[in-house]
Amino acid sequence: MAGILSLVWFVGSVLITPFLMILLCIVFLASIGKSLGVRRLYVKLLLIIFEFGRANIETAQKGSNAEDTSEEDEEHIEEISPLNSNATNDIKHLKTPNGLKKPNNGYVPNGNSVISRDDKLILVPEPPFTMHKTDETTDLSEAKDKCKDYDLCNIFDYLKAGMESIIEDQVTSRFEAEELKNWNLLIRTNRRYEFISWKLTVMWVCGFFVRYFFLFPLRVTICFFGICWLVITTGLLGGLPDCPPKRWINTKSYLTAFRIMSRSLSAEIIIHNKEHRPARGSVCVANHTTPCDVLILSTDNCYSLIGQSHGGFLGILQRALARASPHIWFERSEVRDRHAVANKLKEHVSNPKNPPILIFPEGTCINNTSVMQFKKGSFEVGSVIYPVAIKYDPRFGDAFWNSSKYSMMQYLYMMMTSWAIVCDVWYLPPMQQNEGESAIDFANRVKSVIAKQGGLVDLVWDGQLKRTKPKKEWRERQQEEFSKRLKVE
Amino acid sequence: MGNRSSLLLREEEIAQIQEETGFTPNQIERLYSRFTSLDRGDCGTLSRDDFLRIPELAINPLGERIVNSFFQDEGLNDRVNFRQFMHVLAHFRPIKKNKENKLNSREEKLRFAFKMYDLDNDDMISKDELLAILHMMVGANISEEQLTSIAERTILEADEDGDQMISFEEFCKALQRTDVAQKMSIRFLN
Repeated sequence: MAGILSLVWFVGSVLITPFLMILLCIVFLASIGKSLGVRRLYVKLLLIIFEFGRANIETAQKGSNAEDTSEEDEEHIEEISPLNSNATNDIKHLKTPNGLKKPNNGYVPNGNSVISRDDKLILVPEPPFTMHKTDETTDLSEAKDKCKDYDLCNIFDYLKAGMESIIEDQVTSRFEAEELKNWNLLIRTNRRYEFISWKLTVMWVCGFFVRYFFLFPLRVTICFFGICWLVITTGLLGGLPDCPPKRWINTKSYLTAFRIMSRSLSAEIIIHNKEHRPARGSVCVANHTTPCDVLILSTDNCYSLIGQSHGGFLGILQRALARASPHIWFERSEVRDRHAVANKLKEHVSNPKNPPILIFPEGTCINNTSVMQFKKGSFEVGSVIYPVAIKYDPRFGDAFWNSSKYSMMQYLYMMMTSWAIVCDVWYLPPMQQNEGESAIDFANRVKSVIAKQGGLVDLVWDGQLKRTKPKKEWRERQQEEFSKRLKVE
Repeated sequence: MGNRSSLLLREEEIAQIQEETGFTPNQIERLYSRFTSLDRGDCGTLSRDDFLRIPELAINPLGERIVNSFFQDEGLNDRVNFRQFMHVLAHFRPIKKNKENKLNSREEKLRFAFKMYDLDNDDMISKDELLAILHMMVGANISEEQLTSIAERTILEADEDGDQMISFEEFCKALQRTDVAQKMSIRFLN
């Protein structure tokens, strides 16, 4: 026992110096915002390893599944053409509320689909209002003709749509981690992890040691440094009166703190279109995957944050931030009071010296495959909106925070033991509410821009469905739609 | 980590379900993964609430009826296990020529739809049963009298023996020209 202890002691004392050197080096580079390209190399190396792993799994599976595939193939050649159904289709929800025609109304078949769904058979909460309003004048007579007698087969489309939604739906899957096509050598992502081949097992074990015994302690220490930096600098700055030098120092220390913290996730952030970086005194809206979105965006620009006051770890950060620069934290009791929040927002934006305020209008974390309904609140302020799209590369580690399953600390632990966080950030050209455009339409317009840039599915559903049940009115809207097509005398 | 339950599906179970429903092992595993993610309580069975938590299904005018179709077999049981789940879904597999279609023949599909109407399971669709469906479909948008007249007319058109009800045979006849194979089939991928 004593022998082992002294060995550990010896190894520890030998390794501690290079470890500290690396640590200091990383923290220093992070604080001046420079990179030696180590992370880029690391990511490239990981890709090569994953590719090797994929090839390995495929050859392993080919051996075992050779018999079943031959017989099944014919089944999938025989398909039903979706076009045939147009004429008799009863459920037509081609357009989203903003009237924009989207060929893939929410539905993008990915490699993990079980079924292929017809767009027209997917029910959405708000069937097209605008379509009917505009068509009414011109096609009134035509619309009358389209009404049909009730037919016993009218239920078929609803029946099929219902069954399809049981097999695969647009919403519930957005609140769970995205399934990966290929295993990334993390146990948590593989649905059926088991012994595949000895090569893979060796690779996984090596990866495990690197992640848990090298990266993890390093990252925790870096993160600790970052937080200390933030707390100390904001504490010092909090004592100064508001003046231009204070704002300048604050910006610098803010960026430094978040750059250091981003290294603790080995975040490789690729920022596009820097010319559209959100300006002071404006609103910046982004899609929301994880609380780390803030960290990712803050490595390049100083933001004011808005949100509910938290306790614990997040609370420490929130209080630290609030000391040095204007942020809007409200209590749980105030959340319902939309007016108070809106007023605070307006007040903040009206001062051109304030940093841009960062808002996630979805109001909840989505698994980064789609963008859900934007709450209109932030679009009612009337300021310039800078949309930002964030897309994570799920192969290196799933950034999505499934808050109903993991606590913040569990989530951070998982993030720090993942390979890396690799993401693209696109600054998009500023947008402004058009004359006569409602806040909801404007929100939808911004949302579609973000979805398009980030390669995300543009959904009209409310992200709050994660916790709440769908509204009754949505079903009533469906019933209304059907009644419109039914001929009555 | 939460997906570990998918391991609980044993080879024999897959083989059995494949035999009974015609789904491929791959489809069965995928649907099982879906089944477990719908199963919030992690108890291996689904309740009505588990189904209705799917927003698209909850806003479907026939949502509750569709969920009910999963709970018909076992009478009093108010939970569905994976096998029952698969049996219901199997009705929606596409019809294949030159192959045995057990649960997904044209007749089985029609039978399934018929049961959606036939609430009391007496193999007859009465006017009240038809009205109940119509109510679900239109909500409060069409008046009671108008709905009654629609129901009466629909029955009149389909009814051949003059008993003011639609039997399964009459139901099939009325839907003779409907492309049931297409409308009642889901395109499963592999």
